[in-house]
Amino acid sequence: MRTIQDLRRDEKDIQSLRSRSGVIFFFLLILIISGVFKILQLTVFDRVNYEAESDKNRIINIPIYPARGLITLEDGTLIAENIVTKDLYIKTKLYETSMDQVTQLHDKVFDENRKIDQLQVPMQDEEKIWLARNLSEQELAKYEVQKNSMPNIQLEVKLRRYLPHKNLFSHVIGHLGLINMNERLSLSRVEYPDDSFIGKVGLEKSYEKALRGKAGISLMEVDVYGNKIREINRVSPDKPFNLKLTLDLKLQKIAQEELANRRGAVVALDPTTGFIKALVSSPDYNPNILNGSESGSPISQSSLEDSPFFNRAISGLYPPASTIKPFIGLLGLEEELITESTIVEDKGFFQLKEEGRKYRGWKEDGHGRVDLKKAIVESSDVYFYELASKLTIDRISSFLMRFGFGEISGIDLINESKSILPTRNWKLGNFGEAWFVGDTINIGIGQGYISSTPLQLAVSLSAIANKGKIFQPKLIRNNQLDDYEPDLLMEVQIENPRHWNIIEKSMISVINSWNGTAHNLYEEGGITIAGKTGTAQIKSLTDQDLTVREEYEGIRKDIKNRDHALFASYGPVPDPNLVVVVIVENGESGSAVAAPIAKRLIEQYQININES
Amino acid sequence: MSNRNPLDYSINKPLVTSLNPLRYLFKDITLVLALITVLVFGLIMLYSSSGQSFSMVMRQSIYVFAGLIMMIFISHLKPDSYKNILMHSYWIGLLLLIYVLFNPAEGYTTSRWIDIGFLQFQPSEIIRLILPLSIVAYLHRKESKIRLEDWLYTTIAALMCSYLVFEQPDLGTSIIVFTSGIIPIYLAGLPYGVIAAYVGMLAIVSPFIWSSLLDYQKQRVLTYFDSNVDPLGDGWNIAQSQTAIGSGGFFGKGYLEGTQSQLNFIPESHSDFIFSVIGEEFGLLGITCLFIVYGMIIWRIFKIGLSAQSPFERLACCSLGFIFLLFILINVSMVIGIIPVVGVPLPLISQGGTSIVVHLLAFGVILSAKRPQL
Repeated sequence: MRTIQDLRRDEKDIQSLRSRSGVIFFFLLILIISGVFKILQLTVFDRVNYEAESDKNRIINIPIYPARGLITLEDGTLIAENIVTKDLYIKTKLYETSMDQVTQLHDKVFDENRKIDQLQVPMQDEEKIWLARNLSEQELAKYEVQKNSMPNIQLEVKLRRYLPHKNLFSHVIGHLGLINMNERLSLSRVEYPDDSFIGKVGLEKSYEKALRGKAGISLMEVDVYGNKIREINRVSPDKPFNLKLTLDLKLQKIAQEELANRRGAVVALDPTTGFIKALVSSPDYNPNILNGSESGSPISQSSLEDSPFFNRAISGLYPPASTIKPFIGLLGLEEELITESTIVEDKGFFQLKEEGRKYRGWKEDGHGRVDLKKAIVESSDVYFYELASKLTIDRISSFLMRFGFGEISGIDLINESKSILPTRNWKLGNFGEAWFVGDTINIGIGQGYISSTPLQLAVSLSAIANKGKIFQPKLIRNNQLDDYEPDLLMEVQIENPRHWNIIEKSMISVINSWNGTAHNLYEEGGITIAGKTGTAQIKSLTDQDLTVREEYEGIRKDIKNRDHALFASYGPVPDPNLVVVVIVENGESGSAVAAPIAKRLIEQYQININES
Repeated sequence: MSNRNPLDYSINKPLVTSLNPLRYLFKDITLVLALITVLVFGLIMLYSSSGQSFSMVMRQSIYVFAGLIMMIFISHLKPDSYKNILMHSYWIGLLLLIYVLFNPAEGYTTSRWIDIGFLQFQPSEIIRLILPLSIVAYLHRKESKIRLEDWLYTTIAALMCSYLVFEQPDLGTSIIVFTSGIIPIYLAGLPYGVIAAYVGMLAIVSPFIWSSLLDYQKQRVLTYFDSNVDPLGDGWNIAQSQTAIGSGGFFGKGYLEGTQSQLNFIPESHSDFIFSVIGEEFGLLGITCLFIVYGMIIWRIFKIGLSAQSPFERLACCSLGFIFLLFILINVSMVIGIIPVVGVPLPLISQGGTSIVVHLLAFGVILSAKRPQL
């Protein structure tokens, strides 16, 4: 039984418990109040911030890059495409310590042919060293088997630019490369992330924007590990344009084959449209290596010192040499300083005055009595020395300018050099010297200060082929939306259109006459070709006053001192559809070295036209 | 006959409440229903926070079910019959704490877990409730008044457990263990003179204790209170947890729709941080409802405690009521980022079988203090 005392004690006990509970509860109340306040702050006052934070956590923007635009020929032949490559790389910082794995890769995975071209230093990006590009099926299978024992070597699958014809179109298409600091400045990181490839030269550069298209965006929900859960929204990318080239595959191949890795260039264009049919600079390189779609070295060992990345066809400046003679002759006719039958006595040299300096022709004994036709056919220097001296530089410059000398042609490639057409002011400005008559005399045979690119020479020559009209040279026929119509660049108006025929006839005779400098091209019943040979002197007789033949021979022993061989031509006459300019550096003989290439191209082009 | 109003039957039936089987079985229907509400809600949240793992929910359900059975069993025992067992269970807890230091489960950097094959558990989760119960049982083992030395013994008992947890190392939990030991001591009437003596002693010996701590121990203490050091990435965890609760707003994002939890941005979302999942998916409204139910549970604990017959029962209930409240507060405060991260689960909700079973055993003790209603 409970007693009164028990109850009293209970009473006191409960009292104490209550008051002590109150003390504890007071302390806990601090936590309760601050907790309530904090929860209200989170869910009510700062809710918006936390909602934004939560979205930022889970939603990422992934740019979607469209595959780069294709480049094809008119018939659809692929010239530049995109292929899925499977590449092997190793992090640069791991390379030194993983040599055993690299060796294993070489021994157990790579195909025989890769081993050979792979012995050189691997290509270095900033973070990764690429050990092999574009693995073959077999290599991939071997890699899959071996990969656990080579943990530092990793596989990357990427879409890369690939040129099926490799070197053939290298100087037209160009290549891509990792975006650099300068390009970075003007391009957004969204469109071009740090590891993106961008056109560096050629059409890849000049049509970069059209070929790349515009990146789209995918809004992705991701978890904390970055795994993609689902796509919330998507802005589709703008499809890039595909480009159609004006080039002709067969002509391109012939030009490459004929140049055979010698230093030189070939430009062939249709004078009636300005469409480029062949543009080859030699030696060339393999853009696929730089695009990362093949491994190896982009250039062959033999071309190492021949600037294989230099596009001689549009950037190389050469003296036009004798190929300028038809233009000078035309000017002479126009200025009525000469007629078709004006005769000059060519004794092998020209002197302005008695006892003056002797300007020697290429033929020591001279060509004898020379009229305009013979002067072009046999390429008499003396005839043009005399004509030039009478024409004066002012008339020559302003006339040649109307043909596009001294200008860029505006072809859709970067790095086109501006050819040099000297004037009195030009010399004063560049050399601080007055113009001498001697300078004009040199210009008369395309030497001295004047220089042309092969492309510009072809464009200028198309004026003679067309009897005046010059069309804008173009590489692109069509960009999916627009057809590229021929654009008239300029038209050379002359007083007497008969003069075109005089010049043309003379140029035909260069091949057809027994005494023509390119008579070796002549073929009974063959295509009529108008042409002019040229031999651009590196060490000229006039420059060095090398009057003694032996000394000249001595200089020629160094290949680099030998003359450049030129041939500028068009055909078939009377309706020419192809202008061809060929230059072979240090090739010496325009007729023997350069001219046959031009002939093959013109002939092949006729076959192509008939086929289609 | 057939035109008899069915309501008449109930009106005429004699009101015999003591025969109500539910009331007999559960003793306090309000408390048990509130407990079951929280437990079921916990299982629902566990499904959402575990990445919708049905197996984890099943496993937890087994513990919940077993815990409820044991709770009801204990609630029908007379406190005197298990008082001694409670008192001596302290030694089991102490042994477990010692055992875990020498035989920790593999795969953890700290020695907190015991692995006994089919289950892993943290002895500190058990000691949190065993310690106060055994202290209560010890203090009221006899009818007589509590002796002065009893205060000392119980304080030492609490300190020993606390120290062993500190050695795991787990400073946060060791403080909580000590607090859960000191609460019943204080409530039992620890004389203020003794408290003053403790404070005085602490002031004197604390420099000595500090200097006698080994360097790594000092480092541990300093690191815990240094907000610049974040060795476990707690800062990131808290930010994610706050983002979850904040972005839930008033109504929440909806069940299974919480992006922070479903996409795994919340760390430990099924265990210690489950509160932030509740906040994200059910918003302020859900949090408030949960607090109301928790509040009801605590109200019933004190209601039962203060009307219990024996001092042992009163003390046990009030101690457990405070400890239960304390655990909720600590867990929530940690998740919303107003106190440092400590390993305290949200009672009855967080994943973890041992925690739930031990809590339900404690509720069994509480329910056993309820007088049978006549």
